[in-house]
Amino acid sequence: MSENVKKDILLDVQHLKKYFSTPRGMLHAVDDVSFQIERGKTLGIVGESGCGKSTIGRSILRLLEPTSGKVIFDGQDITALNKNEMRALRQKMQIIFQDPFSSLDPRMTVSQTIEEPLKLHGIIKDKKQREQRVLQLMETVGLAERLYDTYPHELDGGRRQRIGIARALAMKPKFIVCDEPVSALDVSIQAQILNLMEDIQAKEGLTYIFITHDLSVVNHFADDIAVMYMGRMVEKAPSEKLFENPIHPYTQALLSAIPVPDIHHQMKRIVLKGEVTSPIEPKPICRFAARCPYACDQCMHSEPEFKEVEPDHWVACHVKG
Amino acid sequence: MEKDTRPMLEIKDLVVEYRTEEETVQAVNDINLTIRKGKSLGLVGETGAGKTTTALTILNLLPETTGRIVDGTIALDGDPIITKDSSGKSVAAKTDVEMQKIRGNKVAMIFQDPMTALNPIFTVGDQIAEAVQLHQKCTPKEAEKRAEEMLELVGIPGSRKTDYPHQFSGGMKQRVVIAMALACNPALLIADEPTTALDVTVQAQVLEMIKELKEKFGTSVLMITHDLGIIAEMCDEVSVMYAGSIVEHGTLEDIFDRTRHPYTRGLFNSLPNIKDRTARLKPIRGLMPDPSNLPKGCAFADRCDYATDRCREGKPTKRMLSDTHFVDCCLYEDGKDEDRL
Amino acid sequence: MAKERTSKKKESQARQIWKRFRKNKIAMAALIVLGIIILAACSADLFWDYQKDACNIHVPQRLQKPSAEHWLGTDELGRDMLCRIVYGARASLTVGLAATTFALIIGGILGSISGYYGGKLDNVIMRCTDVLLAIPGLLLAIAIMSAFKPNVFYISLALGISYISKFTRIVRSAVLTVREQEYIEAAKAIGAKDHVIILKHLLMNCMAPIFVQYALAIGSRILSVSTLSYIGMGIQSPTPDWGNMLSGARAYIRGNSYLVLGPGIALLLTISAFNLIGDGLRDAMDPRLKK
Repeated sequence: MSENVKKDILLDVQHLKKYFSTPRGMLHAVDDVSFQIERGKTLGIVGESGCGKSTIGRSILRLLEPTSGKVIFDGQDITALNKNEMRALRQKMQIIFQDPFSSLDPRMTVSQTIEEPLKLHGIIKDKKQREQRVLQLMETVGLAERLYDTYPHELDGGRRQRIGIARALAMKPKFIVCDEPVSALDVSIQAQILNLMEDIQAKEGLTYIFITHDLSVVNHFADDIAVMYMGRMVEKAPSEKLFENPIHPYTQALLSAIPVPDIHHQMKRIVLKGEVTSPIEPKPICRFAARCPYACDQCMHSEPEFKEVEPDHWVACHVKG
Repeated sequence: MEKDTRPMLEIKDLVVEYRTEEETVQAVNDINLTIRKGKSLGLVGETGAGKTTTALTILNLLPETTGRIVDGTIALDGDPIITKDSSGKSVAAKTDVEMQKIRGNKVAMIFQDPMTALNPIFTVGDQIAEAVQLHQKCTPKEAEKRAEEMLELVGIPGSRKTDYPHQFSGGMKQRVVIAMALACNPALLIADEPTTALDVTVQAQVLEMIKELKEKFGTSVLMITHDLGIIAEMCDEVSVMYAGSIVEHGTLEDIFDRTRHPYTRGLFNSLPNIKDRTARLKPIRGLMPDPSNLPKGCAFADRCDYATDRCREGKPTKRMLSDTHFVDCCLYEDGKDEDRL
Repeated sequence: MAKERTSKKKESQARQIWKRFRKNKIAMAALIVLGIIILAACSADLFWDYQKDACNIHVPQRLQKPSAEHWLGTDELGRDMLCRIVYGARASLTVGLAATTFALIIGGILGSISGYYGGKLDNVIMRCTDVLLAIPGLLLAIAIMSAFKPNVFYISLALGISYISKFTRIVRSAVLTVREQEYIEAAKAIGAKDHVIILKHLLMNCMAPIFVQYALAIGSRILSVSTLSYIGMGIQSPTPDWGNMLSGARAYIRGNSYLVLGPGIALLLTISAFNLIGDGLRDAMDPRLKK
């Protein structure tokens, strides 16, 4: 860690926990997760449904109140802010949602949706200027001017997602959580949106958290990738490293499970047995042990620590780590 | 390789529309499809390409009020489902009762969402047994035994037959749905995005299982998906659908190694490349045309980098580039099989 | 799949709803009937003098059968029936509207708070409405009326209070479904304050079920006014109201049945109109019925 001091860290998440109480006990959706993101970089968070990846994104933005832990954004611990301070800070931290259908208010036109944050924070008071800014944002995300007064239900998924992006960009944020922004879209549209998000990042110097279940997308898009399993981060490494040399057995299985659109691709598939269960009152053992082909005695007795096995390559595994 | 190469499913010149008061949606425009016995065909395309409509037409399950078969014939194992009457109009060859006997027996379908395909108030064992009893003459005891066997076959302990659907996870439910679909040994299995709702590792399990079962029972499979990766893994032949038409068809090698149609190429270019992660994606520009207002010429022309006036003026002539490779594009009207992209 | 695509027309949702509503012939007929009733109630002063024609007693003209002069005849005190029915519409509609609006506002506030915040607050509010719901509405209204002067204000209040819990529940359940939508989270994420989210995003998107209930509730409130007046706890004679007119006509039902028919049919038409409009609205607003 000490040699990393020079890095320009924008977001530092420390021991973040988010528990939900359910009738069957406490659900440990995010359980003691720590990571950092450098300014201008993208961290991809991957995992299967219920692994807590979306909860992390929402806890960082305090759309869900974290149970414990710290989120330090640009040197400021945002978990200590009160409601009004947090509201002001929201201008700097934004989110793009998965579902381009439910994330837009059906009663508001394209321009009203994009304009709303500008109005709420009183960023641009003059109506004419605000209109100019909305048009400029629409151009940035590739929405034609003629769509200014249309309603979301008149538009396709790709265009709606562009509206969501424009809304997030309106306040010139520094950091955006992208929660599965392309998984509801067709491949050709998905590629359009991914390119757009790349361009915007380069232009505005944005920092992203990119949450997805699609490994090939995250490999393309992120600088670092963190793999989540049942509320825990099990592996984190720069994208190339993770794909070339996955260490955690779960990461290995996950990578081998991607269907590759290449008929000459030969890869031994590791088919896992069983499925992810919800981490309700988990025992202090390795959460992957029940499905792991390498599980040993130690795995059934203690929880592995998340440690740096190579520079920048973090793994939580007794056997491989 | 099996000797029997007769077609299991044969769709000819099929045209399907959805008519409402306001508009007519041309969902399927003149497609031809053939699946030989024991083979699997992948139908790939984006949302709204008409993949599901094609599947529903085969089972005669189009929405009654709006869906209309305008032209074409469908035959299942040589047995007509949709035929032409004396005046050349396409009509259903089977009564509803006859179709019910075919559905679930000869043809079975797996839907995208396993959560809604199972009835929550019956045990999974009862539901599979019911499917068996509907189509086969057997005692309730035998049906129950068959249900147990089917569960074992898809990797669920037979003792769980007394469990209700909510006691299973998503992947397990999809297995139950597949067990139900296969209970009567269908000759053709239609799988409509069977793994889209599942996680990657579970998807791998389910795909592996379908592959095994296909080999074991020689079932023909129509695999509907938007994922070219699944196609590469599961299918023998591929049809690429765009705006209700099949724009390219061929063997896996034809489509993946000798891609000819600009749309198919565009689909490949839109996918992130696992081997070269920094390569910029090359999306297809624009959107699919409104299916209620298709252009006069090639439906892809507006998004195509190779489009000429010829493409916009009239439909391309369909060409076979080799014995197996079909393409519907103006670039290949001379019928020469060379890469022009 | 393809059939789900929406046609590209520039229309607001309200206009689309109106377009679909207009196609519903029965609902449109109900709207026209209601329009005529409201118009008549508003313009009554052009044809009659309220004090002279609707309230004062004209014994010599009592119990006249319908004629050219008195289209619906006269009542037991010699007053023109048509005149009294039209003025009676004023009372019924005013109370119906006021009571329902009152219930909607209070129930709307409670329901949206309950649905949006959830937790303990939700629990407290919902248990209170449970208690209110356990008391039959009319009984509650009668109890309240026995403590107050029977004027339009208190009648509206009494009938409104007994309907608050219904609106609280309807608004709460509507809010609960909308609350889970991502655009609510999106509004939070851009830093909108709670009251902005509730008013602008939540309530505006639950308008459909609330509107429908509003229309249906007015019908039901009008019936309750008449019931109260009929048993003498509501609007008092000589102020005309359909309920107290029916009550007064009770004694003459054999020989002069037209005395009952007039206010009875007026009541029937008005309540049916509100119910049919409510049903029409529901059909027009339900996107699943969109063809």
